[in-house]
Amino acid sequence: MKTATLTLVLALAAIAAGCTTTENSSRNLGDPSVHGKTLAEQVCSDCHGITGDSINPTFPRLAGQQEWYLISELKEFRGHNRLDPEGFEYMWGISRSLTDAQIKELADYYSKQKPGASDRPKNTQLENAGKVIFTNGISSEGVPACAVCHGAEGAGSGQFPRIAGQHADYILKQLNVFQRSSEERADASAMKVVAHNLKPAEIEAVAAYISTMASK
Amino acid sequence: MSSKLNIKYWLLLVPTLSVALMSFSNPARAVPSFARQTGQNCVACHAGGQFPELTPYGRLFKLTGYTIGQRELPLAAMAVLTSNKVKVKTPGTTGHADDGKPIFNTASLFIAGKISDKVGGFAQITYENYTGDNAGDSGHTGSDNLDLRYADRLIDANSDLIYGLTLHNNPGVQDVWNSTPAWGYGVVPGSTGAGDGATPMLDGALGQQVAGMGAYAYWNKTVYAELTGYRTGDGIFSFMTQGNGSQINIKGTNPYARLALTHEWGPHNVMVGLSHLDVQQYTDTTSHSGPTDHYRDTGIDFQYQYLLDPYTVTATVTRIHENIDYGTIGTDPATVNSLRAKTSFTYQAKYGATLSYFNLSNTLGADSRGWTPEIFWTPVQYVRTGVQYTMFSKDEAAANPKASDNNTLLFYVWGAY
Repeated sequence: MKTATLTLVLALAAIAAGCTTTENSSRNLGDPSVHGKTLAEQVCSDCHGITGDSINPTFPRLAGQQEWYLISELKEFRGHNRLDPEGFEYMWGISRSLTDAQIKELADYYSKQKPGASDRPKNTQLENAGKVIFTNGISSEGVPACAVCHGAEGAGSGQFPRIAGQHADYILKQLNVFQRSSEERADASAMKVVAHNLKPAEIEAVAAYISTMASK
Repeated sequence: MSSKLNIKYWLLLVPTLSVALMSFSNPARAVPSFARQTGQNCVACHAGGQFPELTPYGRLFKLTGYTIGQRELPLAAMAVLTSNKVKVKTPGTTGHADDGKPIFNTASLFIAGKISDKVGGFAQITYENYTGDNAGDSGHTGSDNLDLRYADRLIDANSDLIYGLTLHNNPGVQDVWNSTPAWGYGVVPGSTGAGDGATPMLDGALGQQVAGMGAYAYWNKTVYAELTGYRTGDGIFSFMTQGNGSQINIKGTNPYARLALTHEWGPHNVMVGLSHLDVQQYTDTTSHSGPTDHYRDTGIDFQYQYLLDPYTVTATVTRIHENIDYGTIGTDPATVNSLRAKTSFTYQAKYGATLSYFNLSNTLGADSRGWTPEIFWTPVQYVRTGVQYTMFSKDEAAANPKASDNNTLLFYVWGAY
């Protein structure tokens, strides 16, 4: 029984030790003193990867994303203004107590990560079709070229996010969000107009191409 | 109660329960206190929002000591209503309380959440309305699964090491994959499980009977290793085993080791694992001395998961081999084998189906084998209703000599908040 008591005392001591603030390894999303970089490492990395290169396509790749855009989106999540399903299912809660300073630190962390490898080409015909839309748009349908705002290399600029090397499934779902509603992504109302006339096959093609664009 | 009345009962009960649960004013805050702590929906941690299949993120949430998020009131509740129908009802048929009638089966209170930056826990207290009593009128409250953790994480761009301590009361309940018996098979309260087949120690025999203190590490989301020692859950640890009937007494500290390899690519993730449990249980169950029965369980398990909205698939296979050397002189050693497999599928985090297979073989004359298909519906994330049917091709120790006479239909409504 002495051993048992000792074990329990040690366990309680561990709990007591855990009560102290641990600035570099805290997963406390309600503590404004925890640095954004710590939250990125301890929490965000679970889905988005430690360098912002996520594995599951549910979660967008964030490495090298535009800082302005990251700040904007985190504030949209925090304010419950981004209503796409994955947005509120995963991000509303995570971002609810972030301070402006933490959001800035998180954006700084991810924007400075080097973009990882993009997807390997799998369907050349599909990706080539997507490349045409990306580069030239579809004038007959009033769809402008993605490259006009996101850049010829898809790296984005300021409010226009980096899309090169993004998961195809994420691009596809977001284009569907833009197309079906201007409320789910009010921050991206311009995309409602852009995506409005895209057909499902065209969305699939452009998403496939974007996912294979080498990140620069 | 006539069958017509039964139907009326359910027709009234199900919508009433659903409306009652949907009427809570905080719609997107899912099941228990963990969802309130992270502010996320159930689908973040559970594949397709079903219980208990964890996503990779759900596993990391558990391994990092349930500490992600911010402290909230760590309370949640769960209730399960069931109705079962055995094909041929025989006196002595076990595990089928009030056959043919709808019953309030169990209710649980959860105390679960973040305690500090590095400490969190999960404790369940369950009221069982029937306690396996065929007479059907013996309600009972006892401690259920419990897992308290201390965890830390050393992570940078080059390496990731999660390590921690766990204090728990059921071998396997601390595991984060669903190929361990504690979280893998027959988890719907009232499930028929594997009928009357003999199961190895690792399959719940020590649940809420022991106290386990373990240390674990998960390196680079690739290698998981754990070492835990179990002792009788009495004395200072009795809070972990209260209200669960006769106390099993085991000798000293009994080791459990676990090793798992994991990999994730695209929407897929996979795990292959090994486990070993070595237990010496006193032959005289009321004693803390004398000869012991020695159980050695070795398991190999596998899990595959696909996660990409609107589909999720979780498939598990678990094989456990147990050798038993009895302390009573002249009693022959025994072996117990368990093979279980299960695949669950969800669509839009609302509609689901599960198919599970069990094959228990042993030298005890208590083999069982069969299939359990199930369909379920999760209209909102904190209500689930489903139907499962267990078909036996073998059930040696059952009251019904003909295996298929033990086939059982189970309907359930599960709710949590």
